[in-house]
Amino acid sequence: MKKIDLHIHSIPTVSDNDFTFCMDTLKKYVKEANLDAIAITNHDIFDAEQFRAINESLPIAVFPGIEINLDNGHILLISDGSNVEDFESRCNEVSRRILQIGDSITVSDLENIYGNLHNYLIIPHYDKKPSIRGQTLDELLSFVTAGEVDSAKKFIRAIKDETKLTPVLFSDVRVSDGLCRLPTRQTFLDCGELSFSAIRACLGDKGKVFLSEDEGNFLFQIFDDGQRMSTGLNVLLGDRSTGKTYTLDKINDVYEGVKYIRQFSLVQRDEAAYEREFKNEVQRKRSRFVDGYLSAFKAVLDDVMNVDLEGNERDVENYISSLLKSAEEADRRDAYSKVALFDETAFPVRDDKVLKELIASVRQVIENVEYREIIKRHVDIQSLKKLACELIELLWRKALENKKRLFLNGLIKDIKESLKIRTSAVQVYDVDLYRVSMEASKAKRFSDIVNSLQKESVIFEESVQGFRVLASKAPFSKAGEIKSASGVKTSFKDALEEYRDPYRYLQALMSDDSLVRSELYRLFVKIEYKILNRDGFEVSGGERSEFRLLQEIKDAQNYDVLLIDEPESSFDNMFLKSNVNQVIREISESMPVVVVTHNSTVGASVGADYLLYASKELENGKVSYRIYSGHPTDKTLKSIDGRSIKSHEIMLNSLEAGREAYEGRRRGYEAIEDR
Amino acid sequence: MKPLKIDNNLGYFLDGSGEFQPIDRITKEDLLSLVDLILKEEVEFDEYDEEKIRNQAHQIVYKSIHEKLRGLRDRKQEFIDESERSYLAEYERYKDETLQQGA
Repeated sequence: MKKIDLHIHSIPTVSDNDFTFCMDTLKKYVKEANLDAIAITNHDIFDAEQFRAINESLPIAVFPGIEINLDNGHILLISDGSNVEDFESRCNEVSRRILQIGDSITVSDLENIYGNLHNYLIIPHYDKKPSIRGQTLDELLSFVTAGEVDSAKKFIRAIKDETKLTPVLFSDVRVSDGLCRLPTRQTFLDCGELSFSAIRACLGDKGKVFLSEDEGNFLFQIFDDGQRMSTGLNVLLGDRSTGKTYTLDKINDVYEGVKYIRQFSLVQRDEAAYEREFKNEVQRKRSRFVDGYLSAFKAVLDDVMNVDLEGNERDVENYISSLLKSAEEADRRDAYSKVALFDETAFPVRDDKVLKELIASVRQVIENVEYREIIKRHVDIQSLKKLACELIELLWRKALENKKRLFLNGLIKDIKESLKIRTSAVQVYDVDLYRVSMEASKAKRFSDIVNSLQKESVIFEESVQGFRVLASKAPFSKAGEIKSASGVKTSFKDALEEYRDPYRYLQALMSDDSLVRSELYRLFVKIEYKILNRDGFEVSGGERSEFRLLQEIKDAQNYDVLLIDEPESSFDNMFLKSNVNQVIREISESMPVVVVTHNSTVGASVGADYLLYASKELENGKVSYRIYSGHPTDKTLKSIDGRSIKSHEIMLNSLEAGREAYEGRRRGYEAIEDR
Repeated sequence: MKPLKIDNNLGYFLDGSGEFQPIDRITKEDLLSLVDLILKEEVEFDEYDEEKIRNQAHQIVYKSIHEKLRGLRDRKQEFIDESERSYLAEYERYKDETLQQGA
């Protein structure tokens, strides 16, 4: 078995934090990690002189490579090292093209620069940011040797999934003089003699890459002293103050993507405070949910708030009566009322909303990075840019036109008023009938929308280990319900009377100055967000802690490692055995989990894949902390420095309070058992 | 060009066909063509003078229009620029990029 790390940085570039390369640190890393081969892969640069110096200083195979920014993702390109000068001149071309953050080259550029890509190891960032995806990955696929991932969880996931590339886990380390912890991310290859072609052959076969030297993908290294743990479920035992929590803290420290459920974080200490906190949390979730659910409605409401149907009606009445009166008095016109502008109506000024939205949409298609490849396959971006320019020019023309009209409307109004005060003739009242009619249909549509929004139904349902999260909507039936949705101390009695007519209800709400207009959208439909227990009742007491623990564990799916410190601290054994153990087991199928426990229900029944035992030992008057580890079926557990300890004793001491207590309990149960 | 003038104690404006009409016959469409003219060309007006216009209706209309249009003439570039503010950055970038591509 050979251990390799083909992703090492030795030169700081614009893509790195600044660091100073240290040869001694690299030597120490290679020696202590027992590496058989490395590759030097700096961002978009290759320095042949530095490479030769590194190669001469190390007793193992060192390959020249480069990490290239390819279509905004990263790939490693590694050469066999047979012609370093040639490799350097090709890499110089990459350096010339990629000068600052955001620069990148394409797959065809890559082929032009390096020629036949089959001559190299091509390893894209795969389940690691910034990853190579979509069209770029498709174009590159026939040359790809393996895909880089950044955690044991992602490595296992790729191994198990037939459709995924062979995964490799590398350190991506910046070798600096101040490096405090040596990297623990490397990959083992099942090959005899280590050569460039042997590495390529192994990476072509998922059965030949592993996370550990002797335990396949079952174990992976967690600390730089060589300590390993299972990629599945680890149970960490130990007496009080032996460094269990310290160990979890350390894992949390050295790893990225850790979900850490700390000891007592879910314990129910003060019943009232806890209930308040839980309710607040449910309330926060409810509030987020309501906002999301009603966001589209909010936009409709904002629009309809500007509609004044009564005002419009008055305007139309005034228009008609003034028109009739003016016709009656046509013969009584004087010099002022005969001026053409006397009865002139204002220019209608329309909002360019549709055009603005269209420009924004075109702009979005042009600027979108995530789906760029698909977009480019179907439309020509250059044409879209021309379209955008033409639409923007049109928008400007329309904006100018509107500006002129607004300018003149002011002028016309001034003249009309000046004329009016000098004449007894009736002036025809001005009204924009288009706007009046639009607003009437807006109000009608608004009422339809609110009526369907108020229909009773379940809008969201989720099951979490026997609990049910339920969100439902229904019309408000009491003023108190609207009051609590608003959070404002005011009376909703009058408003409620108009509730069946959404437009009038809105007017009633708007007439109350204590209500903030931007919050009114919450007052049209009652949304209930509840957490129900398995019997269909709202959760109470201890069930709350249970629900929170299950939620926390469920949330861990988004992380790379899950740490749980003494889950027993606030739960009864039945819940631990029937729910917690099951959820922990399930999640450990897809990611490494470490559980610290003193509880036999968890420790002995959860079905650990790997046991770790933290121990505080006194040697020659000095305290030292040690971790013993092994499979649950091993008779002894071993430490990194070669010591061993009996598994049976540890289990009895840690989980059953020692052999004597265990035997005593066993005899006690036997005595009361009904035989 | 002089689109507003005072003659024979009356105010006149230049209509779309290039003829002067009495200012009390001006409509909103006429006003719009005057605005277009001012934004396109250099214009001057006969200053408003109460003594020179005897007709009171003409006084009211001429005075208002003259004041307003003079204001527009004096800041016409600002008036045009303000309507070209939205999406200006995108417009310039896309225009440049399409020109480069075509070159």
